[in-house]
Amino acid sequence: MSKKIRLDRRKDIPPIAISLESTLSIKTGTWRYFSPLHKNKIPPCNHECPIGQDVRGFIELITKEKFGRALDLIRKDNPFAGVTGRVCYHPCESVCNREYFDGYVSIGALERAASDFGSDKKKKAIKDKKKKVAILGGGPAGLACAYHLRLMGYQVTVFEALPVLGGMLRIGIPDYRLPKNVLDKEISAIIDMGIEVRTDTRIGVDITMKELEKRYDAVFIATGAQLNKKLDIPGEELEKVVSGLKYLEDINLKRSVDVGEKAVIIGGGNTAFDSARSIVRAGSKATIIYRRTLDQMPAYIEEVEQGIEEEVEILYLTIPIKITENGNNRLDVECIKAELGKVDASGRRRPVPVSGSNFIIEADTVISAIGEDADLSYIPDKIKCRRGLICADENGVSSCVTIFAGGDIVEQPRTVAHAIGSGKKGALAIDRAFKKKIKETSQEELPVVEFESLNPDYFEEQKRTETPILTPLKRIRDNQEVKQGLKKDMAVKEALRCFSCGVCDHCENCLIFCPDLAVLKDVKGCKVLYDYCKGCGICMLECPRGVITMEKESAE
Amino acid sequence: MKLKVTKEEYMYQGHTACPGCTAPQAMRYVLKVLGKKTVISMPACCWSTIAGIFPYSSLKVPLFHTAFPAGASVASGIKAGMDVQGKKDVNVLTWAGDGGTFDIGFQALSGAAERNEDIIYVCYDNEAYMNTGIQRSSATPWGAWTAVTPKENPEGNPKKDIVYIMAAHRIPYAATACVAYPEDLIRKMKKAKKMSGTRFFQILVPCSTGWKFSSELSIKMARMAVETKIFPLYEVENGVKYTINKTPKGLPIKEYLKLQGRFKHLSEKDIKFIQMRVNKEWDDLVSRASNYTA
Amino acid sequence: MKKVIIGNHAVSYGVMLSRTQVIAAYPITPQTEVVEKLTELCSNNKKVKLLKVESEHSAMAACIGASMTGVRTFTATSSQGLALMHEVLHWAAGARLPIVMINVNRAMAAPWTLWADQNDSLSQRDTGWLQFYCESNQEVLDTIIQAFKISEEILLPSMVCLDGFFLSHTSEPVDIPLKKEVDAFLPKYKPKYQIDTDDPHAFGGVAGVDYYFEIRYQMQEAMEKGKSVIRKTGKDFKKVFGREYGLVEEYRCADAETILVTSGMIAGTLRVMVDEYRKKGKKIGMLKIRTFRPFPVEEVRRVLKKAKKVAVIDRNISFGHSGIFFQEVKAAMYNQDRSKRPPIFGFITGLGGRDVTPDIIYEIIDHTSLHSEPKSDIIWVGLKK
Repeated sequence: MSKKIRLDRRKDIPPIAISLESTLSIKTGTWRYFSPLHKNKIPPCNHECPIGQDVRGFIELITKEKFGRALDLIRKDNPFAGVTGRVCYHPCESVCNREYFDGYVSIGALERAASDFGSDKKKKAIKDKKKKVAILGGGPAGLACAYHLRLMGYQVTVFEALPVLGGMLRIGIPDYRLPKNVLDKEISAIIDMGIEVRTDTRIGVDITMKELEKRYDAVFIATGAQLNKKLDIPGEELEKVVSGLKYLEDINLKRSVDVGEKAVIIGGGNTAFDSARSIVRAGSKATIIYRRTLDQMPAYIEEVEQGIEEEVEILYLTIPIKITENGNNRLDVECIKAELGKVDASGRRRPVPVSGSNFIIEADTVISAIGEDADLSYIPDKIKCRRGLICADENGVSSCVTIFAGGDIVEQPRTVAHAIGSGKKGALAIDRAFKKKIKETSQEELPVVEFESLNPDYFEEQKRTETPILTPLKRIRDNQEVKQGLKKDMAVKEALRCFSCGVCDHCENCLIFCPDLAVLKDVKGCKVLYDYCKGCGICMLECPRGVITMEKESAE
Repeated sequence: MKLKVTKEEYMYQGHTACPGCTAPQAMRYVLKVLGKKTVISMPACCWSTIAGIFPYSSLKVPLFHTAFPAGASVASGIKAGMDVQGKKDVNVLTWAGDGGTFDIGFQALSGAAERNEDIIYVCYDNEAYMNTGIQRSSATPWGAWTAVTPKENPEGNPKKDIVYIMAAHRIPYAATACVAYPEDLIRKMKKAKKMSGTRFFQILVPCSTGWKFSSELSIKMARMAVETKIFPLYEVENGVKYTINKTPKGLPIKEYLKLQGRFKHLSEKDIKFIQMRVNKEWDDLVSRASNYTA
Repeated sequence: MKKVIIGNHAVSYGVMLSRTQVIAAYPITPQTEVVEKLTELCSNNKKVKLLKVESEHSAMAACIGASMTGVRTFTATSSQGLALMHEVLHWAAGARLPIVMINVNRAMAAPWTLWADQNDSLSQRDTGWLQFYCESNQEVLDTIIQAFKISEEILLPSMVCLDGFFLSHTSEPVDIPLKKEVDAFLPKYKPKYQIDTDDPHAFGGVAGVDYYFEIRYQMQEAMEKGKSVIRKTGKDFKKVFGREYGLVEEYRCADAETILVTSGMIAGTLRVMVDEYRKKGKKIGMLKIRTFRPFPVEEVRRVLKKAKKVAVIDRNISFGHSGIFFQEVKAAMYNQDRSKRPPIFGFITGLGGRDVTPDIIYEIIDHTSLHSEPKSDIIWVGLKK
């Protein structure tokens, strides 16, 4: 470190103005009004993921071709990478900042790539603990909860009504979206960690809540929503009027089903489309009747688009009012056209029947798929419920201290990701309850990075690599997976498009462009020399990923 | 970005450039390429104070301050002195602003170039006499405000094409460079270091104080200058072989002008005129580059 | 080895004998032969670099740069060229660089002129350069060699002046010393401060109000020291070469009643005139001022205090005042007892190269004899009526 020089005596001054010291003693940091702070922030994809995965993190690992480590990182939170890589609706993609530049990153395809190319590492419990937890329901929420609890060392038993585990993943989602071998592999990996499974066991029938509460230290309820909503129209009790859930269960458990030449599917959600597209693959015709318009349909848009490609007929603004058996041994579905009226409780314009627009559709089978309700019959009164669902906070804590709940039985969006996410949060809540700990609120809410904080000048435009999709003909003929996986090199190329929003990736722009040489490399990333930093803000603007913010200096 | 240059620094912290000034950036990367065995001849310019006032220096190489017009002539003398002592591996670098290059220092520069003195001459161009309080130089672009070209009567002459003039001296190497593209500057300086004879650089260094913009925009400003074609990156070998190093995006000049307070008085007609000029000069450069035959 | 050479060539020989390593110059009449001869003398010498720069400002700037690297440097100029260098003359002295320069005295334009007077060099009076005025081509060569020695010891640059055409282009016999003799007298230059990449410093950075004063003080200290260094060097020169020099030369002043004070080539004419008057019984003497800077105050006082009258002959003028040597001599004499201050007459003649003939000298001496005191500060001689 150089020192300030004082030349007070005449003899101290040299005969020419020759430098005697460096400028290091001039602390230009005192000039600052604003200080740069290097602080990693939350990328929008991470923030949006219902499972709380480090999305940015696993994408970065893929850029380095470390597929195994990427998979490990995903499995820190989500044991179903292969499942979510295929069927998650990927809210991360809808908030990806790259969309404002040249198109969002195909995060879903990358998650699938991690699962396709990453090698399986057996997961082990850290150390066996004494406490026991009962998981009710072997679907994604229950299995995710079981997985996380087992990782922490607890003894876990999963109770499942069906003969097989998987819940909606198995019986609700057809093969062409999620091949069973993929699901089986991931379920096995969870169970192999040392989880007890009791299939063919219905709660309230084969075992009661009271017994469970006695035998287990905590219970996680995740029995989902399996009761088909009623159509409330005459004729729905007819034999050939089948629930969508039942139809899909039969298909997925390989029971023989025949819907005849043509089926009419009432509903606009995923169940309706999964049913319709399965029907088409079975060789029959499918017509979906939906009371509202396309943009109001709850089904994933890619399901709808692919369904249309597969020649599923969709009638919008069509309300079924009566189903009757006709003389041809078929069903007559009487419908009426509707038009959109005022906005209703759901926030959408409600369809109003247009009088005199009645017409009949003839079909062999009617599939009813207008939504599912939860079976709360076995739930004891002490557990508060509301609007047909268990009341639980965002961590799955119910009104009873040892009872937790997650998945479709609580009030949350009904997606695979939310289910897995609630399973994870439930496990953490159970762990905290056992340890008598309170959930820590993070010291400060880290901001989520928006596109305006990024500097896209450092990125080259590059079109997104789309997930390859089979042609409709191939899809129907072979019943293969509709979406194919990316090849390794394409996955890496796509992963490189990730901006790494808010997380320093050591590009060193701040170090390179600091005019005051006040940014040095550090083990953690970059370090600011506040003795010299003048607060010009160049580092903040030239950081491609918005890691640096300028904070006002305090008055002193 | 990963730069192909030493991580070692030849400058100290504590220099007193304005916050956001990019002139230290230019020096930083030039010295990283030229290294320890470099002597700098520096006429009056902003760097005369950035280099530190007596008794401090912000550089790790010897620096000789010179009178304003004498950057290139003192360098010629330094080189001669080094040569007769057999110290042939020392880089002699003149580090001058646009005033000390385009105007008062031009004669010495032209003389040195004509003699093909074995020096590297770097003009770091902030487009006005900034050190004395923002007065126009012949590097000030048309239409700009300066303290002596107020908005009622802004700069009425086009910027001198210094690289073209230096190329006309048939020196071995002349090039433009820009602080927003350090990898380009490094590559060119490495190339020049290997040559002998007069090598000339014009490095654009936006000045937040004089161009009137907020300090954090300095690098972006430099980038915009290149992307709008008003400051193309190119090199000239032996005065005749022009190579354009980067094809700019060709953003409208308005995008660049609107960021700077020194241009805020321009009318739509003025901006159109500037755009037309920029297009014409770019076309001229392109034709020079394509007309070269070996 | 004795050779009949013009003054300009005497310069060239002096420079080469001094083992000068870097020369930078620009042509101007009447200096051109200096550089022409030098290019001839160093054409195959790898140890010398001669830069044919594009202006005098650049010539001095290049010398400054070269000198800073630790080598002996030289330039030559005249009149307009010297004036053009003015800012960098200040720089060279402030940077304490021992550059030696020849200035062939030539009057200043406007209007254009080619012929001798001293306004060019005297206009640089305050720059911090030592100034020597030579009377003969021999003295020119000798002074160059001494100037390197003196400058390198006190670290201030030296300007050696010779009258344009009168000396520069006049052939005189000159004893050109042997190289080994000069080497013995003038050792290799050992710079005190030098550009060195192994020990980097900044030179000449802004010296604020807290430091500049002391730095300039040291320049004056050096000038003061210069007087004794010049005297000693002149004596040492005699030991090797047989010719002695000092800050001044006294010619028949010991018992002189009237002492004529002058510089440069006029001194040569005066020498003859003094002898002539002495033959007639007139007690006339001549004080030749060789160094104008540092001004030889002690010698001037010592020599002139005994005279009854003093006549200063200036081939220069400071417009708005009077002859420059006249002013300096008067000033040197002032802070003394009245008894030591004879009346001093100031004569201005020969501007723009008008010949200072014996007739001019007669007029000067007659005027001085006739008047007890000067009636005005300037007495013009040789001006058309």
